Amino acid sequence: MRKEVIIKYLGYVLLLNAVFLFISFLISFYLNEASSIPLLYSAFICGTFGIFPMIFVERTGVINFWEGLYIVVLGWLITAVAGMLPYIMWGGEFSLINAWFESVSGFTTSGSTILTEIESLPKGILFWRSATHWIGGIGIILFVLLILPQSKETRISIYKAEISSLTKMNYRLQARKIVYVLTIIYVSLTLLETLILNVFGMSFFNAINHSFATIATGGFSPKNLSFAAYSSISIEVTVMVFMILSGINFGLIYGTVLLKKENIFSSSLVRTFLIVLFSGILVVSFKLYLSGTYDWWTSVRYAAFQVISLGTTTGFATEDTAHWPIFARIILIYFTIQCAMTGSTSGGLKFDRIYIFFKLLAKQIKKLKHPQGVFVAKIDGKRIEERIEQQTLVFIVLYVMVFFITTILLTTMNVDGETAFTASIATLGNVGPGFGDVSSLGNYADLPALGKLALTVNMFLGRLEIFNILVLLSIKK
Amino acid sequence: MRNTLKLKIFASFTLLIAILAIAGTISIVKFRSISNSVQDLIKDNYKSIKASKTMLEALEREDSGVLLLMLGEWKEGREIINAADSTFLKAFETTKHNLTEKNEAEYIQKIKTEYTNYKAKWKRPVVKTDKQGNITWYKTDIHQSFLRTKKAVDSLMTLNQESMYGEASDLNRKATRAIMPGIVSIIAALIFAIILNFFINRYFVGPISDMVKAVKNHQEGDKELNVNITSNDEIKQLEQAINKLLHRLGRNF
Repeated sequence: MRKEVIIKYLGYVLLLNAVFLFISFLISFYLNEASSIPLLYSAFICGTFGIFPMIFVERTGVINFWEGLYIVVLGWLITAVAGMLPYIMWGGEFSLINAWFESVSGFTTSGSTILTEIESLPKGILFWRSATHWIGGIGIILFVLLILPQSKETRISIYKAEISSLTKMNYRLQARKIVYVLTIIYVSLTLLETLILNVFGMSFFNAINHSFATIATGGFSPKNLSFAAYSSISIEVTVMVFMILSGINFGLIYGTVLLKKENIFSSSLVRTFLIVLFSGILVVSFKLYLSGTYDWWTSVRYAAFQVISLGTTTGFATEDTAHWPIFARIILIYFTIQCAMTGSTSGGLKFDRIYIFFKLLAKQIKKLKHPQGVFVAKIDGKRIEERIEQQTLVFIVLYVMVFFITTILLTTMNVDGETAFTASIATLGNVGPGFGDVSSLGNYADLPALGKLALTVNMFLGRLEIFNILVLLSIKK
Repeated sequence: MRNTLKLKIFASFTLLIAILAIAGTISIVKFRSISNSVQDLIKDNYKSIKASKTMLEALEREDSGVLLLMLGEWKEGREIINAADSTFLKAFETTKHNLTEKNEAEYIQKIKTEYTNYKAKWKRPVVKTDKQGNITWYKTDIHQSFLRTKKAVDSLMTLNQESMYGEASDLNRKATRAIMPGIVSIIAALIFAIILNFFINRYFVGPISDMVKAVKNHQEGDKELNVNITSNDEIKQLEQAINKLLHRLGRNF
């Protein structure tokens, strides 16, 4: 393994951070905010470490799978470290642990926050906070691959580590094309949402910040009350539409736009995903209405936003769900576990795995009925490879194990059961808010420092997929 | 353009120096700002707080003087009142010329109005008039005026105290912003040094060691100098030069 090549690529990752930090600095500088210097110095540090390897490493050649894996995993880690620089230099609510938590939460698009007074922060810092979502949403490595001219083999090695194996099965496109497809859709959706939110009365700054967070399925809002601060149906509907779009496989959106055979309407996965979401909205709405929490339309309005927000792993809020009836909260917890589709910007378990799990369950039941029969599980007429079947089952078991371990860990630190359970699952699924102390309008500020650290591990595992981390840890030197 | 060793080393150290120099500059600027804030704190708020306390003490003494007048102690009462009045007016002038907070002028105007009213009440004769020993006059008229003046001074003091507290919190933030770039730059410089050490080993020391080994191998029979130098600098030139030398030596012998 060539360490110098890995260092050079990590440098590219830092250079990308430096660009966004510099934009944040320009905003702060223009508004004459005190955060100008922390942002500029952070940009300088990232830029310096980005340029430095270029002085020595001249040729990189073809990158192999292991190097690709290291670049991806270390790239995320190093990005999170770089992301916390402006926070720790700004101070205030950002202690060392809090800055780390906020940075990891941003880049992994979790959207869990430790901030209690978001609106008191300078606009430059708020923009950087949203930018971490946007960079993390598409995967910083994809950015690097897009920007740099590399050989086809290099692209494939890195994208193999970056994109879930399920995505690879779904896309059926070349690695190079995937990068362009993802980026074009990502940028277009961001611009479109910014424009629409701006038309509906949101300031341009808040519109772009919210768009960054929506398209990345993140959840950071520059407002203390998230979308509850606007109380505007047109804004809520816009955000709901874009949350759903961001939760769908981008390859299928691309196929739909270009009228290709593989598109949103032909995919049974998308259909099922939408049916599950709308069923969830109906069930929660009925519960809220029947329990007398709200009138019918208010129930539908709040339920729709919260179910879509959690079901796409975004984590925005229009209402504090901590006071909702337990049944409604349990349904929302299910959506926190389910997560959105592969090939989208979401992390966590992913809806596709649950879909495959039920396909395998049906296959097993048939097999029990007809022990001699040969059955295959299919999605849209295509057979699910046995390798994918096994990986899916092992992944689900591992996923459950990780969130149980984190829950137990948090309860040993005197965190109450509901908070511990939902915080673990919300961070592992890169969703953001949970219930209890960390509910939709609450925050993670009061959790113990060690608990926050454990939750950042969850966020990485959710974003990078547990397998990649395990493979990396199992490499013998 | 060929990247020379000199250029590579120079560029690396320039970056390292830039990291430290910029952090140092930020820290100096921020510490200067802290120093200015401390001076402002003393100059702006503490001065007004001290003057307000003096005014309150003077008011209390004036109140005692009024009570002495009511008891018929004209000389002692007037001495105390006149001395306290002079102290009050001196402190008032200090606050009047130290307007640092928003709306502070209105607070000063309020003190002036209340004090003028209060002063008008005890300025007129008290001893050997119907006011001497008249507790009702004291309670309903002069004491109420005294309390209103005291409240006005208190408000000015609270305004400056709150501002001082805010400034102190701001100082804490400024201290963090002065220290953190220093800490970040120290850690960054350490990591930079570790990476630089890795690159020096990988691109300078390693290839030279390989060449030494290869030359030794050549002495033991190898014809070519089999060293894979990937860089495009003096090390590569050295490898090529040694190879040429060995070829020439091979032709000559």
